[in-house]
Amino acid sequence: MHLSLPALSVLLALPAAVRAVFQDEVGHIDYHYELLGVPQRETTFFHRPRQQDKASLLYTLSDLGVLGAVNPSTSSVVWRQLLQGNITNNVGYLRAGEDATWVASAMGSSTQAWDAPTGRNLWSLDFNGRAKDLEIMELTESDHKDVLVLYEEEGATVARRIHGTQGSVVWEFRAINDDIPLQVSTNVEKVFVISLHGSLLSYSLKVTVLDTLTGKRLDEINIGTKGEVQKAEDVMFVGANSAAPIVAWTDNALTKLKVNVLGNKNKQEFPLVADTRSIEIHAPHQIQSQPHFLVQSRTKTANKAEVFHVGLKSNVVTKAYDFPLLDGESAFSTSTTGSNVYFTRVTPDEVIIASSLSHGILGRWPLHGNDARAGALHGVSEVIKKSEDNYAVRSAIVTDTDDWVMVRNGEVAWTRPEGLSGAVAATWAEIPESEGLAKTLEAEAHSNPLEAYIHRVKRHVDDLQHLPAWLESVPGRLLSSIMGSEGSAKGSATLTRDSFGLNKLVVLVTKRGKMYGLDAGDHGRIVWSKSASETPSSQPWDIKSIHADDVKGFITVRGADGEFIIVKSDTGKTVETMGPGLWPPVQSVAVVDSEAGPWLLPIGIDGKIGELPLAHAPKQTVVVRAGNELKGITFQPQGEQAVEVPAWVFSPSGKQKIVHIATRSAHDPIASVGRVLGDRSVLYKYLNPNTLVVAAIDEGSSTMTLYLLDSVSGEVLTSSSHQGVDPNKQVSCAISENWFACSFFGQYAVRDSETQSVKGYQLLITDLYESEFSNDRGSLGDAIGEDAKFSPLDPIDRPTGPVIPSAVSKTFMLSGPITSLAVTQTRQGITSRQLLAFASGSHSITGIPRMVIDPRRVVGRDPTPVELEEGLSKYTPLIELDPRFMITHERDVIGVKEIITAPANLESTSLVFAYGLDVFGTQVTPSMPFDILGKGFNKVTLIGTVLALTAGVMALGPMVRKKMINMRWYSS
Amino acid sequence: MRVSLSAAAALLSLLQSTAATARSALVATTAVTLALPAQPALPNPHALPPSTHATLSTLYTTYSAPLSAANTFVFRNVTPGSYLADVHCATHAFAPLRVDVVASAAPDKLGLLSVQAWETFRGNDWDNKGEEAKEMALPGAGGPGSPTVAALPVRCLAPKQYFMERSSFSIMGILKNPMILLAMVSMGIFFVMPKMVENMDPEMRAEFEEQQKNNPMASLMGGGGQQAANPLGNFDMASFLAGAPSKKDEGSSAAAASDAGGNGGGRRKR
Repeated sequence: MHLSLPALSVLLALPAAVRAVFQDEVGHIDYHYELLGVPQRETTFFHRPRQQDKASLLYTLSDLGVLGAVNPSTSSVVWRQLLQGNITNNVGYLRAGEDATWVASAMGSSTQAWDAPTGRNLWSLDFNGRAKDLEIMELTESDHKDVLVLYEEEGATVARRIHGTQGSVVWEFRAINDDIPLQVSTNVEKVFVISLHGSLLSYSLKVTVLDTLTGKRLDEINIGTKGEVQKAEDVMFVGANSAAPIVAWTDNALTKLKVNVLGNKNKQEFPLVADTRSIEIHAPHQIQSQPHFLVQSRTKTANKAEVFHVGLKSNVVTKAYDFPLLDGESAFSTSTTGSNVYFTRVTPDEVIIASSLSHGILGRWPLHGNDARAGALHGVSEVIKKSEDNYAVRSAIVTDTDDWVMVRNGEVAWTRPEGLSGAVAATWAEIPESEGLAKTLEAEAHSNPLEAYIHRVKRHVDDLQHLPAWLESVPGRLLSSIMGSEGSAKGSATLTRDSFGLNKLVVLVTKRGKMYGLDAGDHGRIVWSKSASETPSSQPWDIKSIHADDVKGFITVRGADGEFIIVKSDTGKTVETMGPGLWPPVQSVAVVDSEAGPWLLPIGIDGKIGELPLAHAPKQTVVVRAGNELKGITFQPQGEQAVEVPAWVFSPSGKQKIVHIATRSAHDPIASVGRVLGDRSVLYKYLNPNTLVVAAIDEGSSTMTLYLLDSVSGEVLTSSSHQGVDPNKQVSCAISENWFACSFFGQYAVRDSETQSVKGYQLLITDLYESEFSNDRGSLGDAIGEDAKFSPLDPIDRPTGPVIPSAVSKTFMLSGPITSLAVTQTRQGITSRQLLAFASGSHSITGIPRMVIDPRRVVGRDPTPVELEEGLSKYTPLIELDPRFMITHERDVIGVKEIITAPANLESTSLVFAYGLDVFGTQVTPSMPFDILGKGFNKVTLIGTVLALTAGVMALGPMVRKKMINMRWYSS
Repeated sequence: MRVSLSAAAALLSLLQSTAATARSALVATTAVTLALPAQPALPNPHALPPSTHATLSTLYTTYSAPLSAANTFVFRNVTPGSYLADVHCATHAFAPLRVDVVASAAPDKLGLLSVQAWETFRGNDWDNKGEEAKEMALPGAGGPGSPTVAALPVRCLAPKQYFMERSSFSIMGILKNPMILLAMVSMGIFFVMPKMVENMDPEMRAEFEEQQKNNPMASLMGGGGQQAANPLGNFDMASFLAGAPSKKDEGSSAAAASDAGGNGGGRRKR
C-alpha cells in the first residue's frame, strides 16, 4: 500500500506559488564567497594531479578542516571537502606523492585518500585515537605509493602503513607506552617514528626505526635533549621524505639550533641570530631531491635564513650559505624540479629565488600591488626553469591579514579573502547618513517654524547648483536604465543609501579575531577589514554579542572575557576598545531600555548582573540563562542603586537539558492581527511580543519538550512533548509573528496508530491563535470587556484563568536535515514569510514558503471551497526540500552557522546573509517582487511596442480616413 | 544475504551516546556499501560533483560517507540497527533507502551481521517497505583482479532543476496567441476580400454580393461591399411608425439591380 510514490510526492509538495531563482538573477542579487579557511604551512602545496598534464593545482587543508584544490591561475575552487562534516579546530595532515594522482589526508580519527583531479574519495579508514602525522612512502616494493600514518591512542603509539590505492592496512606497529607520538618519517630503507619519551618538562627524543616491509622494530635511538624539549611544540621540524630526514629543535633561549639526522645518535649545534623569536625549517618533501634544508629565524623586526646541506654518506650537516637579514616579514618556500631544490623568498618589496646549492640569486622581481605588502606569513612556490638562466616563479602566500595571495613573477595575480571564513558573529548595519545633512535636519527640527522654513528654502536654493549636473546625468541614466545596466553602472567605491534600502552593511567577526565590513548592495564587497592585532581578540575569539547602533553608526562587539571593541560601521575605525580580563567575564549581552536610554547590559556568568546605577536600571524583565535554568530578572530601586530581583525561574522538568532557545528578532512587524478565513470571519492571532521558545531534551528517554514561555511572567503558555528525538543531532527553532517552528530528527510510533512508526528529519510548526473559534478573542476578549487592561502578570490570580493561546500544530517530514532556522523580515510584515534554513545535507540554504508549512492544512480530505479560498491545501506529511526552494540554487554553500535577515525599504524584499564557513548573501521576495520592476520587465520591448503602435496608428490613419471619405462619396 | 563482513569487534564509536553504551561494550560492526550505477535518469555517474555524499541515520547515530571514485559510498564500522540512507547531491535527487543491519540468527554465523535494504517512502510508515534493493557486485577498488564488493544500488529519481524559466518576449509567442490569430484573420478579410471581389468576373461578383446581402453575417464581416455597413443606417423610422412595409428589401434589390445592370468598374473610374 503505497500512499504516494516518491516521484509523485515531489510534485505534490510543489505548491503553485514557488518563487525560485531566475537564472539571470544569479550573481546579480546574490553573492557567495566560496572559502576554504586559512591555508596551513605544512598542508599546502602545488601538485600535478595528472601525470601527463603539466598544469598543477594548489592543494590545501585549512585551519577549519576544509580540504580543497584551487586553480592557481584563476583562484577558483576546483573541489573541496569538509573533512569532519563540520568546522573543527583539529590539526590535519595532507600529503601528495610525487606524480601520484591522489592526495592523502588525516584528521581526527580518519585517514582518507582523495582523487586529486576530481576530489572523489578513494578510500576512508577510521581508527581509534587521533592522527598525529601522515607521510607518503614514495618508493615501495610494488609500483604504487603507500601511506604512513601515526596515531595516538590512550597509552599507545600506533604507526600503520596503508596500501595507497586500495586503502588496506599493510602492517601495523603498536608500542604500548606513554610516549607522545610526534611524527613519522621515512627514507628509502627505513621508517622512523619519532616520539617524546619521559616526563613533562624533561622529554628526550625517541626514534623508533621500523622495517618498511613488515613494520617490525629494528632499532630504537634515544637522543638526550637536557630538558630543552618541554613539549611537543618545541620540536621544530622532523624532516620529511628526503634521503636524509632530520629532526631539529632549539634550546630554551633560542640561541642554538640542534639537528639530528635520523638514524644516528649524533646531534649538531648551530648558532642562531641574536633575539630570535621563532624559527621555521623548510625542506623539500621529494625523495629524489637533494637533502638540503633552510632555517628561517625571525627576530622582532627582521628575519634571515640559513641553508644547510646534509652529507648523504657522512650524515654531517654543514652550513652552505645565508640569506641576508632583512627588515619585516618574509615568507620562504621550497620547490623542487627533479633533484634541484629552489628556495623562494617573498619579502615586502620583492620576490627572490635561489638554488639550494649556492647563494647566487637566480631571479628577482620587484613586488607590485599593495595587497601582498602586508606581512607574508608563509607560502608555497612553484619555480619553473624556462631556459638556462631564466626562471619563472609563482607563490601562494598567506598574509597576516588572513588573505591568500598569488604572486606571479612579482605581480599579484589574485587574492582570496580566506579570512572571511570561520565567522562567529555578524550583524546588519545601516549605512550612516552623511553627517552634514543629519545635522541640518536636526537644527531645523529644533528651531522655530519660520526660521526653519527660511532655512529650508535657502537650503533648497543652494541645492539648485547641483541641478545642471543632475540634468546632464539624466540621459545617461535613462539609457542605462533602458539597457538594463543599472547594477553595473554603480561601481563607485562610496557607500550611499539607496531608495530601495538594498544597500546595507554587514559587519562580520571571525574567530581568528578579524572584523570585516561588507557592502550587501554591492555583491558583498569588502569595504573595510581589521586584522586580529587591532581587535582585543583571543584565539579563538569567543564573541558573545554584536550590536549595531544605526543612529550613531557604531558597532559594538563583546567577547567572553569582558573585552569589547566599538568601531564605526562604515569605515571600521576603532572608537573605543578594552582588552580581555579587565572587565568581568560575560555570558551574554542584552539591549535594555533605561532612564538613561537604551544600552547594552552585559550579563555575567550564570546570569549574574549585580547592582546597577538607578538611571541605567532596565525597565523590562531581563531573561538570563543560569546553567539549565532560565531566570526573569527585574530591577528594584534601593537607594542610589537598582538591585536585581528574580521575577521567575523556569527549569525544564526532569532530566531535560535545554538545547535551543529561540527569541523573536527585534524587527518583527505584524501587518494584520487576524487571519481572514474563507467565510470572511477572522481568527485572531495570539500576538505576544514577550514570548520565547525553549527546546529541552531528556537524553535518557530521548524526549523533547517544546515550551513557549511568556518572558514577563515566566509562565508556560503552551508546551508539547515529542518522543524519539535524537539529542545528538541538531535541534533548531525559530519564532516569528504568531508561530514558531522547530526541526529535529525523530523516530517514534505514530500516536493514532501504534503499529506505524516514522523515522527521519522533521519540522514542527505551531500557530498560536487567541481562540480556536473565529471572530472570538478568547479570554483576552473578556479582559478587554471588563476593564480594558491586560497584563501578563495578572492572569495567575484571575478567576477567569490565564490567557492561554490556542495552538495548532503540524509536523512535516523533511527530505533532509535543516539547521540554523531563520525567518525573513520585511519592512511592514505584509509580505508573507519564508522559513530560511541551512540544508546541511545538500549544502544549500532553503527558503520554505510559510504557506507550505501552514499548520491549518486539512488532514485526510480535500479542502472545501471555503478552505481553498483561505489558501489551505491538503496536508501531505512530506516536504521535499525542492531545489526550487533553494535560494542558493546551484551554489555549494558549506558550514553555515547562522542566517540573519534584514528588511529593505521595499516591502517585498528581505535581505539574507549567511555566515559560518562560507559567506553568502541574497535578496528574497517571498510574495514575488510586487513593488519593483524586475529583470522580467523588458523596457526595450515596452518602448518598442509603444513605437510600433504609434507607427501603426500613423500608417493606418490616412488609410482609414481615405476609406471613410470614399464610402461617403460612393454610397450616395 | 551476505556482504563483506568485517565482524571484528570494535569499540563503540564516540558518536554513540550514553543510551547506547548500556549495551555490550563490544559490538560487532560491518561495512555497508551503497552504489550509484548508471541508470536512465543518471547516464553518467562519474559526472556527479565531489560534494555528493550519503548518510545513514537513526536515533543517536549518523554515519556519513563521501562519494568514491567508483561511484560508491562506503560506511565502515556500522553497528546493528535500522537506518535511513540518503544520498545528498547537488545535481540529482535520489530515492531514500531503508537499510537494516541485523545480527544473523543462524548459530553457525553467530555475531555476523547481515545487511538488507529496501526503498522507503518518506512521510509513510517505516515498515512500509518498497522494492528490495538487491545487492550488486562491483569491481573492487584495487582495479582489475581485486575481489568484488557487494553494494546496494540507489535509484536516481531525476536531475534537479534549480531555476525558473523567465517568460521572455518573442514575436512568435505573440503571434501564437489565439486572440491575435483571430484579429489577423479578420484583418485579412477586411483588406483582401474587396480586392478579390474586384477581380472577380462581373456576374460572379453580382451573385456573390447578392449572397452577402442575404447573409446576416455580412454586416459583421465588415460589409464586404461598398454598401454602408450599418443596418440601422437604412432604417426608416417614419415608415416604420407609419406601419409601411420595410423599404429595406426593396431598396437593396434595387441596388442589386443597379449593380447588375450598371458597370461597377465604370463607377470606380469616375
